[in-house]
Amino acid sequence: MTTVLAPVAGTAIGLAAVPDPVFSQAMVGPGSAIDPQREPGQAVAPISGTIVKLHAHAYIVVGEDGRGVLVHLGIDTVQLKGEGFRLLAVEGDRVRAGQPVVFWDPAAVEAGGRSPICSVVALDAAAGEVNGEVRGGVGAGDELFEWS
Amino acid sequence: MAERKVTVMSEVGLHARPAATFVQTAVQAPFDVTVAKFGVPPVSAKSILSVLALDVRQGETIVISADADGADELLDRLAAIASAP
Repeated sequence: MTTVLAPVAGTAIGLAAVPDPVFSQAMVGPGSAIDPQREPGQAVAPISGTIVKLHAHAYIVVGEDGRGVLVHLGIDTVQLKGEGFRLLAVEGDRVRAGQPVVFWDPAAVEAGGRSPICSVVALDAAAGEVNGEVRGGVGAGDELFEWS
Repeated sequence: MAERKVTVMSEVGLHARPAATFVQTAVQAPFDVTVAKFGVPPVSAKSILSVLALDVRQGETIVISADADGADELLDRLAAIASAP
């Protein structure tokens, strides 16, 4: 079982509430989502493992068991081409769960006309494998859901 | 071995919706399907983790392969998804 941590502080709202069907319909996979606090802050690793992909707006950490978790910071934020995001780690780094990966400002994303809602997805997981999902207020690094 | 060589035309590359649609289509196949880009070993087209980690950008060419009877129809569908703007 993998415990997946909240990458950002805010309100856990569930994946279905994400204003992008790619995530809300779990097309990428099951998971959860967080409406982040509107203040600059660090997005952290949701699990321990290796950062196999690091974009400014999204990253994937793969654990030793091969399970990968995607963190996507905001909706359509690929269009920002990294502006407003600062990388705190390097692709290929080994990280502990809760270790900072990206510094960003959800308020700035929102001011630019995009949703800052953060999706956290268990990649290649079956729908029933995600459970124990937390709802409501969470801090960065708090438990978000279990991947059985 | 049947294969299709296509250039990814989506602005976001083989990420987000195109990647999800690509993998959702590939997993329907009862045989192995792989996707590769130049200089990188092929990965399973049925794994969203593998496809996202392959990190195919707009304008990059990929090769989608399968070795099975009836693979052509699936490869055509995958090629259409990958090459859609």
